[in-house]
Amino acid sequence: MPDHTSNGMQCHEFEGLLSDAIDGVLTGAQLDRFQAHVRTCSACRPLFAEVEAGRNWLKDLTEVEPPVSLVTNILASTTGVDTQRLRVNVSAPQPRITWLERAHAWASGAMQPLWATVRQPRFAMSFGMAFFALSVALSVIGVKPADLRQVSLRPAAIRHTYYNTQARVVRYYENIRFVYEVESRVRELKRTVTPAEPAPERKDHKNDTTQQPEQKQERNYSQTENHLILASAPLGLSVNDLPVVLVTTYRRFV
Amino acid sequence: MEDVQVVAMLVRRCVAGDAAAWEEIVQTYNRRIYNICYRFAGSADDAEDLAQEVFIKMYRTLASYDSSKGAFVTWVTTITRNLLVDHFRKTKQDRITDSLDATSSAHEDAQPLSEQIQDQSAPPDQHVRSREVGEAVHAALGKLSPELREAVILRDLQDMDYREIATVLKVPEGTVKSRINRGRAELARLLQRTYRQVM
Repeated sequence: MPDHTSNGMQCHEFEGLLSDAIDGVLTGAQLDRFQAHVRTCSACRPLFAEVEAGRNWLKDLTEVEPPVSLVTNILASTTGVDTQRLRVNVSAPQPRITWLERAHAWASGAMQPLWATVRQPRFAMSFGMAFFALSVALSVIGVKPADLRQVSLRPAAIRHTYYNTQARVVRYYENIRFVYEVESRVRELKRTVTPAEPAPERKDHKNDTTQQPEQKQERNYSQTENHLILASAPLGLSVNDLPVVLVTTYRRFV
Repeated sequence: MEDVQVVAMLVRRCVAGDAAAWEEIVQTYNRRIYNICYRFAGSADDAEDLAQEVFIKMYRTLASYDSSKGAFVTWVTTITRNLLVDHFRKTKQDRITDSLDATSSAHEDAQPLSEQIQDQSAPPDQHVRSREVGEAVHAALGKLSPELREAVILRDLQDMDYREIATVLKVPEGTVKSRINRGRAELARLLQRTYRQVM
């Protein structure tokens, strides 16, 4: 708005008094000056008219009635109170559900299909048989539920148990009669087939005047060849019927 | 308007857990809050939801009310106004003043404002005419910018004084007066053009 001066009042002063003038609280000389400015200022006159008209329009607006259920809804959503007097087409307030109840409800819903399947007779029978088979197997192996209570879960104890079990298994395997016989037969064959090694040449250290330290004897073994050896068998069998034993010999280089 | 001591006692009883005191507060202020919400939001459904939210917020923060800092009605109106502004920001209803030929909202059956006002001369019944004028003004009010609308609502519909409005809106009294004047003038401009045609 341009800031004109009309009848001793500037437009910005007029704007500041506009609300008071509309509300009817301006009196005396101030009101006279204001009215004079409105009459003479071409910029402020329409503004005053618009503001006054707008206020008159708003006077036509009456209060609206809130819905009848508003109070009941408010009370139900705040205090949970739903009195008989206030109950007007409003549903009852929802009871508060704790997280534990909610979790239980969720678990029940999620487990319901699985539980229904498990309760079928054929599944129950299968589970019973599996349990029976497992318990029989454990008792045959020698595992007793009472022993499990005394099992130590310390790393050292676990390692100790592992080595004990491994040694027991090896001992059991080596004590099997068949295995023992095969191994002893193989050892005998080795002894008979392998030629006797010449005695190592002894070096005479007495005349050594080089003053150098004695070279340590190193043994180098290398795999040379594999020999197919026919195991001893009774006469009358063809070569194809004879068992074949694969013997690997090592030659020693000095 | 309100007896400060009576209201303060009511609030204390309510904070102490007196359900009857809270019900009295709801009964006393629900109409006012609903009307502010209705005039600002423009729709009856939104107004009902917003009014409930206002009371829920009020119920939770009632203990923070300090009677020495201001009247209870100012505190209630501040809560209402803040919630309305939040609602406006969420819904992004940017209702900056539009032309008269633009459709207002779905609530008015998408009928242009000028047509709504033109129709007001048709019914002979004065009551019907008054109601339709009221609807037209309500529609025009919804076309004001939120800043102007809230100032006009608090002043011309809720009869709050400038100091209270300044407290609620957290702006100086001069700004409040300026917004009210601009809001009234804008509303008149929206309505008068068509109103002259009708008359």
